[in-house]
Amino acid sequence: MASVSDMYDVTWEEMRDKLRKWREENYRNSEQIVEVGEELIQEHASKLGDDIWIIYEQVMIAALDCSRDDLATTCLHELQKQFQGSHRVKRLAGMRLEALERYDEALKMYNDILQDDSTNTAARKRKIAILKAQGKSTEAIRELNEYLEQFVGDQEAWHELAELYINEHDYAKAAFSLEELMMTNPHNHLYCEQYAEVKYTQGGIENLELSRKYFAQALKLNNRNMRALFGLYMSASHIGASPKASAKVKKDNVKYAAWAASQINRAYQLAGHGTKETKCSLKAVEEMLESMQIMPS
Amino acid sequence: MTVIKLTTQAYCKMLLHAAKYPHCAVNGLLVAENQKRKDGQPVLCVDCVPLFHGTLALAPMMEIALTLIDTWCKENKYVIAGYYQANERIKETRPNQFAEKVAARIAENFSEAALIMVDNSNISMGCYDPAISVFEHHDNKWKCRDASIDCCEDWSEAQKIMSALLEDRSYDSLIDFDNHLDDLRNDWTNPEINKSILHLC
Repeated sequence: MASVSDMYDVTWEEMRDKLRKWREENYRNSEQIVEVGEELIQEHASKLGDDIWIIYEQVMIAALDCSRDDLATTCLHELQKQFQGSHRVKRLAGMRLEALERYDEALKMYNDILQDDSTNTAARKRKIAILKAQGKSTEAIRELNEYLEQFVGDQEAWHELAELYINEHDYAKAAFSLEELMMTNPHNHLYCEQYAEVKYTQGGIENLELSRKYFAQALKLNNRNMRALFGLYMSASHIGASPKASAKVKKDNVKYAAWAASQINRAYQLAGHGTKETKCSLKAVEEMLESMQIMPS
Repeated sequence: MTVIKLTTQAYCKMLLHAAKYPHCAVNGLLVAENQKRKDGQPVLCVDCVPLFHGTLALAPMMEIALTLIDTWCKENKYVIAGYYQANERIKETRPNQFAEKVAARIAENFSEAALIMVDNSNISMGCYDPAISVFEHHDNKWKCRDASIDCCEDWSEAQKIMSALLEDRSYDSLIDFDNHLDDLRNDWTNPEINKSILHLC
């Protein structure tokens, strides 16, 4: 089989830099990481210097995702040789056991780490991940809440909690978790937008108005967020058509919806510039917006 | 009792969607041709529109997708005939409340709508068994119909082509509605994949 460097005409330095980019931006493109990382380790290990250890870790985790236990074990052994007794490496050994569904043995590893160091957050989070993998959502949520009482600033954990709540259809608690995230990250348009989606899903005129406000806020923070634009359109349209809204509120929302519709059309026009394929979705969007036109009553 | 069948294109695109995001839940819609059917004739789902991956149970984007795809269907003489979902966990094959709600909404417009759950553990390179369970609406509940190779219009063709697509890693280029929202130029009708499937037929 052709090597990655041959197929894509890249140097080992470019491969190493790609791996770093994927690592820093937390991509989960495990098949690609395995392909690039395996070749890097096998052909260019000596040139990587100290980078090799973090690459072993990255490739090992990706290998677990792809059921490549052979590759995962190789990486793990190298790390165990180099960093004997390390908790970070022990956690990786635990992850491998999780991948093999040997949850009891994995739990023992994590409990060993925690006995040695009760503040080890990685081990605690892996224990919660095991509960999630076993479908024990209620316990996972309970443990995660306990964890967050101690580690209030852990954003990854708050986001995980929000998603667990959404999957359990507990939208009120999901909203609360997202509120924590928005407080500490007021400029993050994605949290704003997801919060708006949760409020919309909860339903009712007050939640719809809140959802519209947060879609608008997300749009202010990033005017290219299509979800926020569509969300603004939908929430404003619903309020504009709601019998529970006052005449003024309806009038205002019909205006917002009309503005959003024109922006959506404009975005599709810009995207469809020149290509034949997108002309069909542009037409579909125009028709959809026309058919949903809310007439002020 | 109406039977649901899937063309090779519908079946393959659905499984490619699941294969592209193995660590996420995915969902999407199935469309059928909008025509009068004789009694006993099965509903044939001719195409599949992959929708979302990751956190599925939120309403606004789903509503947008349903409305937009409904409009697209009308232009192409299709009708939305079903909803599919692949859960995040490999062993979880039952539909959740959100799946039932969306399927019920589709059933309001198309009474024989089907709810299809992808059976993650049956997805393999060799595609030995159909990796889906079909649920039908009876007395306000969704009941599972026994899985069999009858769910595909031509199972041996679907099997052969699905295997080839997985080998080729065609799922890398599959576009779902989430990808479209990230960049409007991404086309959720997946014309290139449709061409590949036709080519392999």
